[in-house]
Amino acid sequence: MNENNLISVRDLEVQFRQRRKVARALDGVSLDWKKGEVLGVVGESGCGKSTLARAILGLQDLAGGEVVLDGNAGSGRKARSDLRRRVQMIFQDPYQTLNPRQKVKDIVTEPLVIQGLPKAGRDKTVRAALRDVGLDPERYLDRYPHQLSGGQRQRVAIAAALVLEPEGLICDEPVSMLDASVRSQILSVLLELQKRRNLALIFITHDLSLAWSLCDRIAVMYLGRVVESGSAVDVIEDPRHPYTKALVTAIPVPEPGGGGSRELLQGELPDATDVPKGCRFHPRCPKRFEPCDQVDPSLQPVGTKGREVACLLYSDATLRADVEPTHG
Amino acid sequence: MSNLLEVTNLRVEHRGKPIVDDVSFTLEKGEALGLAGESGCGKTTTALSLMKMLPSGLKQSGGIVLRPPDLEEPIRIDRRTEAGMQVVRWRHISLVFQGAMNSLDPVKYIDAQIAEVIRLHEDGVSGKQVHARIDDLLTTVGLTPALGHRYSHQLSGGQRQRVMIALALACRPSLVIADEPTTALDVVMQAQVLQLLEWLRRELGLALILISHDLGVLAETCDRIAVMYAGRIVETGPVAGVFASPQHPYTKRLLDSLPVIGGSRGLAPPIPGGPPDPGDPPDGCAFHPRCPYSTERCLKDPALREVAPGQSAACHFAPWSSWPEIKPVSVGVRT
Repeated sequence: MNENNLISVRDLEVQFRQRRKVARALDGVSLDWKKGEVLGVVGESGCGKSTLARAILGLQDLAGGEVVLDGNAGSGRKARSDLRRRVQMIFQDPYQTLNPRQKVKDIVTEPLVIQGLPKAGRDKTVRAALRDVGLDPERYLDRYPHQLSGGQRQRVAIAAALVLEPEGLICDEPVSMLDASVRSQILSVLLELQKRRNLALIFITHDLSLAWSLCDRIAVMYLGRVVESGSAVDVIEDPRHPYTKALVTAIPVPEPGGGGSRELLQGELPDATDVPKGCRFHPRCPKRFEPCDQVDPSLQPVGTKGREVACLLYSDATLRADVEPTHG
Repeated sequence: MSNLLEVTNLRVEHRGKPIVDDVSFTLEKGEALGLAGESGCGKTTTALSLMKMLPSGLKQSGGIVLRPPDLEEPIRIDRRTEAGMQVVRWRHISLVFQGAMNSLDPVKYIDAQIAEVIRLHEDGVSGKQVHARIDDLLTTVGLTPALGHRYSHQLSGGQRQRVMIALALACRPSLVIADEPTTALDVVMQAQVLQLLEWLRRELGLALILISHDLGVLAETCDRIAVMYAGRIVETGPVAGVFASPQHPYTKRLLDSLPVIGGSRGLAPPIPGGPPDPGDPPDGCAFHPRCPYSTERCLKDPALREVAPGQSAACHFAPWSSWPEIKPVSVGVRT
């Protein structure tokens, strides 16, 4: 296992039972999250982005696969508590994630208490954590969540997540509920902290332009699988998987008439209880050909270093037959 | 040609304090106007007041005149009573609500809900005609008529949003107001719904008021845009002009904060602070405490005036020929 990876995920499977059916929320996800890296996870709702985050943190029972921290595939309580101390998470809705009956002070102190850190330094640590996210401790320590704005709440959530000085922070749609001006403030706080502490970030988002502008690497998920990954610039500016192309085409362009006469992906994400045979994207794919409904493609290196695509268009020559991959 | 809709000096008060103030705009037949701004800036309040659907605690004043092409006489919405408005709503103006998920009746079939709208607003339509219209409507918004015989919980988010649009179109209004119609949807679904709105506008000659905090969405869909801040329009003009050369610092900063793929990556310096309390905006230009260019002059109220052809801004310093570099303001992290 690679030393540079904070977390490696191998063949992760998570399943949910629905009466007699089984929804395969994660269906064999493999992903590396390097130390200090900003990794974007993008895809439509229901593709498994948030389940992946929960699975990484051990909040979800696994049906298969493993989460490896630092190259050690440890299991059991020790590994789990290690992981939770070193990787933290913040959520989309700052209105629902803070306990309304706790003061800011207690919210940010709680992780220190749970991890059993000495009482003596706590107050100082908490004040420093609040200053780090741009909140004046004197004014905010004794407030309750309902006395804060949405942006301030998200700052408190970040302070509580970072008070243990984790090496990784998973952000599940951290700004999608916030207004434009507040949104860029929260993003700057996150990115400044990321640079200063060499923090690894996972950004879960459905906003591709945001992922493009902030992330080092991007993984595109579809129906419980990663279908394309690579450097953020490569993946968004030169998508290879037909699904990534479709996502990129759908981004609203902040230019008059930017939509133009684009071709949009039709239909919707299929039900995870009924994953299509062969390539899971083939029923919606504009480029499907002969073996797509039979052969399930795996991630293969394509093009530049570190780029991987799970699509038969880029698979080995015998399968590809006479179909030429279309570039760009 | 006279305008389809004329709004003059619209004002909405809550306990004597204005939360929408001095809002004026016009809309031509088939035109799409985008209303942009952050939460609490008065976008939704403006939309609701056009249909006189404000909650009882709010008082509205100002002129609203609608001239539907199929009527001789203009409709003075501002003078209509509640009973008088009931024949205007849905028949001449309709509204696609924010959060379509919660706007449909969970215990009625989709087709029954559409039928209800048609029957309430039009007399003497036969059952057969109603059914034909429902099938037609569902097809228009890209759904199969078979979906009519389902409950809303059996539909996906995108399908429910399409049903909401079908409801809005049921009585063939000349103006549709869509309040954040795509906010709860994914990129792909969002693009599909926007494409649908554009198609409807072209095919049916609908005028559209699109409310969104997403400038990208507005740029794609609208002809003109009005940017609101603290209950007022601070900049308005053709989409092309406003996006190419914004004339209010707020618009400029909002546009800068949008990542444009292929442009420069990374974050533009954020706008410090938060939107002001609606009803209690700062004196003078409401944006001045957050504006990097503000001076003493900004303590006086700027008027919305034309600064480029068709483009108006409420800023003392407009027109801006160039924007001075902004020093990145630290948003809190100690160095």
